[in-house]
Amino acid sequence: MERHFELELEKLNKRLLKMGSLVYDQVHNALDALLACNIELAQQVIDTDNKVDKLDVKIDKLCQRIFALTQPVATDLRLIMSALKMNNDLERLGDLAVNISEKIEGISEYKEILTELHVDELANMADLIVKDVVNILHTRNTTFVKDIFTSASAIEEKVQSVSARILDEMMHKTEVIVVATNLMIILTQIDRIAGYSTNIAESIVFIVEGRMIKHKKAFSHGENSDNGSEAAPESEATPESNDNP
Amino acid sequence: MKEIKIRTKDLTLYYGAKMALNSITMDIPEKEVTAFIGPSGCGKSTFLRTLNRMNDLIPNVRVTGEVLVDSLNIYDKQIDVVNLRKKVGMVFQKSNPFAKSIFENVAYGPRINGINNKSKLEEIVETSLKKAFIWEEVKDRLNDSAMGLSGGQQQRMCIARTLAVEPEIILMDEPASALDPISTAKIEELIFELKKNYTIVIVTHNMQQAARVSDLTAFFYLGELIEFGKTKKIFTTPDKKHTEEYITGRFG
Repeated sequence: MERHFELELEKLNKRLLKMGSLVYDQVHNALDALLACNIELAQQVIDTDNKVDKLDVKIDKLCQRIFALTQPVATDLRLIMSALKMNNDLERLGDLAVNISEKIEGISEYKEILTELHVDELANMADLIVKDVVNILHTRNTTFVKDIFTSASAIEEKVQSVSARILDEMMHKTEVIVVATNLMIILTQIDRIAGYSTNIAESIVFIVEGRMIKHKKAFSHGENSDNGSEAAPESEATPESNDNP
Repeated sequence: MKEIKIRTKDLTLYYGAKMALNSITMDIPEKEVTAFIGPSGCGKSTFLRTLNRMNDLIPNVRVTGEVLVDSLNIYDKQIDVVNLRKKVGMVFQKSNPFAKSIFENVAYGPRINGINNKSKLEEIVETSLKKAFIWEEVKDRLNDSAMGLSGGQQQRMCIARTLAVEPEIILMDEPASALDPISTAKIEELIFELKKNYTIVIVTHNMQQAARVSDLTAFFYLGELIEFGKTKKIFTTPDKKHTEEYITGRFG
């Protein structure tokens, strides 16, 4: 009995890691495609999303089965509760990669704007935060969680400053309005990438330490914690924000 | 925080030379359900039995330390054990109806306490069976033998028999372990109802039952109290690694 249960948990952990790795690839490729305006790579991201969706369903079903058949408690309970949440957050990250990919064609005619407005820096930050959180999912080393919050705050600030510059461009150059609008949508997706990454980090803390840190503004992760990363996941909880391309 | 109903201080118990309980100090609050969990032989049933001195019946048992029920040490020489067991009732793993009618089973305790008035006894029997949620099932056959009841009904009748002598504390030693899931659910619902008026201490091997019915959970291992706290805490984030290993089935 015990051995069987351990195998089920091992399977769940493996699937979560597979999901993390698959979603990281999706985000990485989407951001690569953005910076290179590589339509082909963007299409590949869009086509691969069904793999993410299938794995999402598999993980949900596995969690449901473990809940129903083993009545988990303590650390097992926290793992399975969090697995459900993290699976959802990872699947959303996959959707964001698709959203970005779908907008790339719309900016390819004026791609210099990406470096001019430092969107490339922002893309690298977003890439890194997902890479780091997937790494923590693997190692369960929660000492690095506060770095995720710090990065998320930095991304949010950067998104705001880049958005302000894009608006400025739009006001002065009417020819960039379409491109700039697409770019604004991409920035929103990047902001959400940071938000979902902090959600996942919070879930990992819950698994490992049993502490629920979500909505706790006082979590020590730097000066900007009050208006920083943790505000992002809350704002994303609304259905319209998730469905919005 | 509720009033403390039972307080043990450094309670140690030996079966001959073997130490079965090692210096247990615990506060059990009134009108709450406290569950004792732990592997076989960990001392949980022994500890339960010290709370109404049922261990007195076992030869070579030596107890040190104190058990205070309403601040009175029940191991004091002046304590009347019969009165103590009236106040601290007990329900066992296997239902143990007397080979008498349902009515006589429930009326047994009040009778030996000197109540012989028929209408008074009828009133006690009806009230007790109602409190144990079995009245509707047996009200038309009170004079039938209690042995003809199903296992689950017998157990609820035994609870009614315990209630008939108006205890304040009910000790339950695996009260549902021999019952099917429906009877178990009835006993658990009954425990929920009873805790409004009684302090309940329950020993169970069924971890989920402890999680479902109790407010507080104590984990025992090798005669020691390892962890004692709110059930919702023990089953989500226990403090001790040992507790975690036991409740998640990774023990040993």
